[in-house]
Amino acid sequence: MNLKTKQIIIAVLSATFLISLIFVQWMEVALKQQEAGLRTHAISVPAKSRSCVECHQKSSPGIIDHWKGSTHAAKGVGCIECHQAHQKDVDAFDHYGATIATIVTPLDCSRCHKTEFEEFTHSHHSKAGNILASLDNFLAETVEGSREPFNPHSPTPGRDIDIVNGMASVNVGCRQCHGSKVAIQTLDGGLITVDDLQPGADGLPTNTTAVASIKRNSDGQPILDAASWPNTGIGRLNLDGSRGSCSACHSRHDFSPRRARQPENCGKCHLGPDHPQKEVYEESKHGVAFRDLKEHMNLDAHDWVLGRDYTQAPTCATCHMSGHTRNDGKVTHDPGDRISWTNRPPVSAVMDTDAEGKVVKEKDPEKRLALIADSWQQKRQRMKNVCLHCHTNNYVNAFYKQYDDFVVNYNEKFAKPGQKIMAVLREQKLITATQFDEEIEWTWFYLWHHEGRRARHGASMMAPDYAHWHGMFEVADRFYTKLIPQAREIAEHSREEGRRAEAEAVEKVIEELLARPEHEWYEGLKKLDEAKRLPAVKEEKESAEN
Amino acid sequence: MTRLADWINERIPVSGEQLRELTNEPVPNHLRRWWFCLGGTPAYLFVVQIFTGILLALYYQPAPASAYESIRYITEEAAFGWYLRSMHKWAATLMIAAVILHQLRVYFTAAYRRPRELNWVIGMALLMCTLLTGFTGYSLVFEQLSYWGATVAANISDAVPLVGGTLKMLLLGGAEYNEHTLSRFFIIHAAILPTTITLLVIVHIAFIRMHGVTELRFDDDPPNEPRHFNFFPDHITTELLIGLLLMVVLSALATILPATLGAKADPLTTPEIIKPEWYFYVSFRWLKLFSLTFAVLSTGFILAAMFLWPWIDVGLRKLTGNEDISVWIGVGGTLLLIGLTVWEAVVTH
Amino acid sequence: MIFSFVSISRFGLMNSGQDSTSQDSAEQGDSAASSSDDHRRSFIATGSAVAMTTGLVASYGTFASMAGRFLFPAGGRRSVGWQFVAAVASWQPGKSLEYTAPSGATVVIARHGEADEAEAFIALSSVCPHLGCRVHWESQNDRFFCPCHNGAFDRQGVATQGPPAKAGQSLKAYPLKIEAGLLYVEAPLHSVGGDAPTAVAQNDPSAQNDSSAPDAVQADAVEKGRLS
Repeated sequence: MNLKTKQIIIAVLSATFLISLIFVQWMEVALKQQEAGLRTHAISVPAKSRSCVECHQKSSPGIIDHWKGSTHAAKGVGCIECHQAHQKDVDAFDHYGATIATIVTPLDCSRCHKTEFEEFTHSHHSKAGNILASLDNFLAETVEGSREPFNPHSPTPGRDIDIVNGMASVNVGCRQCHGSKVAIQTLDGGLITVDDLQPGADGLPTNTTAVASIKRNSDGQPILDAASWPNTGIGRLNLDGSRGSCSACHSRHDFSPRRARQPENCGKCHLGPDHPQKEVYEESKHGVAFRDLKEHMNLDAHDWVLGRDYTQAPTCATCHMSGHTRNDGKVTHDPGDRISWTNRPPVSAVMDTDAEGKVVKEKDPEKRLALIADSWQQKRQRMKNVCLHCHTNNYVNAFYKQYDDFVVNYNEKFAKPGQKIMAVLREQKLITATQFDEEIEWTWFYLWHHEGRRARHGASMMAPDYAHWHGMFEVADRFYTKLIPQAREIAEHSREEGRRAEAEAVEKVIEELLARPEHEWYEGLKKLDEAKRLPAVKEEKESAEN
Repeated sequence: MTRLADWINERIPVSGEQLRELTNEPVPNHLRRWWFCLGGTPAYLFVVQIFTGILLALYYQPAPASAYESIRYITEEAAFGWYLRSMHKWAATLMIAAVILHQLRVYFTAAYRRPRELNWVIGMALLMCTLLTGFTGYSLVFEQLSYWGATVAANISDAVPLVGGTLKMLLLGGAEYNEHTLSRFFIIHAAILPTTITLLVIVHIAFIRMHGVTELRFDDDPPNEPRHFNFFPDHITTELLIGLLLMVVLSALATILPATLGAKADPLTTPEIIKPEWYFYVSFRWLKLFSLTFAVLSTGFILAAMFLWPWIDVGLRKLTGNEDISVWIGVGGTLLLIGLTVWEAVVTH
Repeated sequence: MIFSFVSISRFGLMNSGQDSTSQDSAEQGDSAASSSDDHRRSFIATGSAVAMTTGLVASYGTFASMAGRFLFPAGGRRSVGWQFVAAVASWQPGKSLEYTAPSGATVVIARHGEADEAEAFIALSSVCPHLGCRVHWESQNDRFFCPCHNGAFDRQGVATQGPPAKAGQSLKAYPLKIEAGLLYVEAPLHSVGGDAPTAVAQNDPSAQNDSSAPDAVQADAVEKGRLS
């Protein structure tokens, strides 16, 4: 090999080396970009919370690691800022020199997030705790469990169970979505709640005797009643008088806006047989687009404004809460703010709300008008402003025509008649005042609470299968093949028992309903058919004999 | 200009003639064959190691609490950190391979014979130092495998008769792997061994210059060809070429198979599959085959034999009358080494 | 050192071992010396040499520049950041609090104005503008004092004595901003000891300022940082 050849080989090798270095540079850039996505911000532990972080990093690293991924961590909001408590707070305790409380309530969050707190307090979400006195609650407390503790049916090998907590289903089921009434154990074995404490506007209890009676563990920590905590139900009734739990949607301890923007977050509660909003959404074109385009949705954006930061697909938050270009990007923490029908009750009602955010039930038009603070038309317009980012005016209006027609059809054909039949049965005392002790009460509950809502939610969010097969089809089935026959059976049975007048009153209601043109096909036409068919059947028989 | 030259000449009194003589050593013709340049390859890789090693040491923290995190920082955050770390890792692998190949070449060409016996001994010392550097360097990563590798190695040294306990204590800075161990490994890896290697290399090269490179004649060499060529520019271009080739290979390996970071060392859990780096497969397999004491003693015996080979070789030749006896022993030994390495490589346990 | 090397090499050449002949190598050395001049000329003159040199400089140069880039700590890790302090609404004018930055540095932040804007607040650094030592509050002298070169500053951070006064250097004020009714300070994030120094007691704002901070801060310290 002569010198010149070697030199040329060296030149070629240098070029190869250079190319490999360019490749290294390219990989470096790719690597850093990837990491920029993984690591969005530098974390600094606020000095006040440093000892909390150090200790909990060892004892419960999950909390700390989660928090490190939060915007709070980036902005220097640590543990103390949220968990700090006033000496007078009933659940306050001294934790290595800091006065803190375990449960962080919306009032605590409002120290910084005042607007969000107010919007949320105004929302139907914050009133979810009112379920505690409703029909559904009777179902879980009494039908599924027992209000009073009861004796075990038989021994459980390996466990020493001497008493059964009949409220278990309520605690684990209802209250984890609706929220518990937070309670602290007292020295005499009782419980105190917000009702006993009578907190003022600052959240501090005014009833000092109640505060004095609370029980503490060996660390001086007040003992929270296990039936009421852990709980992140959205309507939680807190000890400081505030309602709700921000972490219901903004999971602690990273409070990720990214997560709150995604449908899975709402899906903790809004799914299942009675209100499958998440499944409905997933079936809809909206959900399909989201799944496909999720990576392009800019979910980490600081402000997540529809039309500016993303337009690919809407999530639950997009339509019901998030800001968009037509409202200056203003987020609302009242998800009912853009809803024009409430499909929660047996019969859907328009969302005219009063000053407190409650649905106006007044029937008299003038009185009604006086009560309305925010009309359903205003709410609908706000929703339309979201729709218009992707759809034309005509399209949106025509959608609402389809939706309105669907709800009205359900209301008028099944809900109101069903309600009327149930009312007459109760009026005539053919069924007891106790819920769920007669089969027909289960039938009616299935009809409106499960199937009727599925249908309406399916229609409201463009899921044909839920509107029809999981919805109206089952509503109709329930109405014609269960509710009507069961009501008639009750009437017949009471006639046999000699309660003729009551039976006739019920039958009259049923016959009047079925005589209406929309139900005529069911028996009116059947009778006609039978009349026609009788000779035909005879002929068939004859020909068979021949 | 002349004043500047005078100024320099006065302070560094080396004439151009002397410089030329220093750099322009005639190089024997057989060095035109690449496999005779294997001695320069580890030297070049050693320079790469010094360069990348110094850079890595700027961020590395030799303490159990922060070692792993600092390597994560180098790998994931520092600019080109992953590349430099991968270069360092692959250069170590290639360096060990090159040292072994160089030694095989020296062995099979019998270049260790009189008067070069001492240089063979120095070469053996360099091999030991290189392996030790590889081992301590790998331990610094403080991931599961490196941690448990270090623990196992420390306990092997414990089995050495008489001095074992002291050896282990010196290596770990305590009875067990503790918070002082990593800093010890770091100083051994980054200061003691590199210095020793540098000094040994200087003596190694000095010996070569004193004895002259072993000259070999090949049957197919043209009879009238000059027996030497110039170090400059002929041989230096060859070295440059090899250097660049190494850089390209290193870059390729670093980008295609970059150094990864396994799970952090956990003194409470030994991983299911534990293996040292490939160059210790031989001794690892050896340990599995025999009792610990025997394995340690036999390894010590073999190493001693290797160190003293130039003299053993003379004895064997006299004893057997076979001039090529060392070749046959070498072939056997090499096959055994390869066999044990492959065996360890293909089985999980 | 070099000399000894030269003599070694001479020695080596003259006594090179049994496998080579010294005569041969000496002759060869001479002829190589004469032909090396030709080599050197062509080495510089030919295109291949230029290509080789360019290639070497470019590739090793790029490699060296990458290594140089490695010397600079990873970017994106800013040493300061906007940190939440407190809600503005609950902060009375005239009151101050002692904010402990994530780095451990104490920053006295005071509200002197009514307006809900950053200008109504001041956050003084405890770093002496002279040579970077830490100043501390001397309540008996009503001043911040720097022990390094006897610099002193008044409550507003204006230098009154020592080298800072001569140079007209005041204590640095940290940038402040108000977002959505919350006050943020751009404070140092990292201390030399890393993100989580072990000196916990030092970071307890209530423990430190009993006697060493302005009166307004003392009053506040009782509330454990909770403004009321």
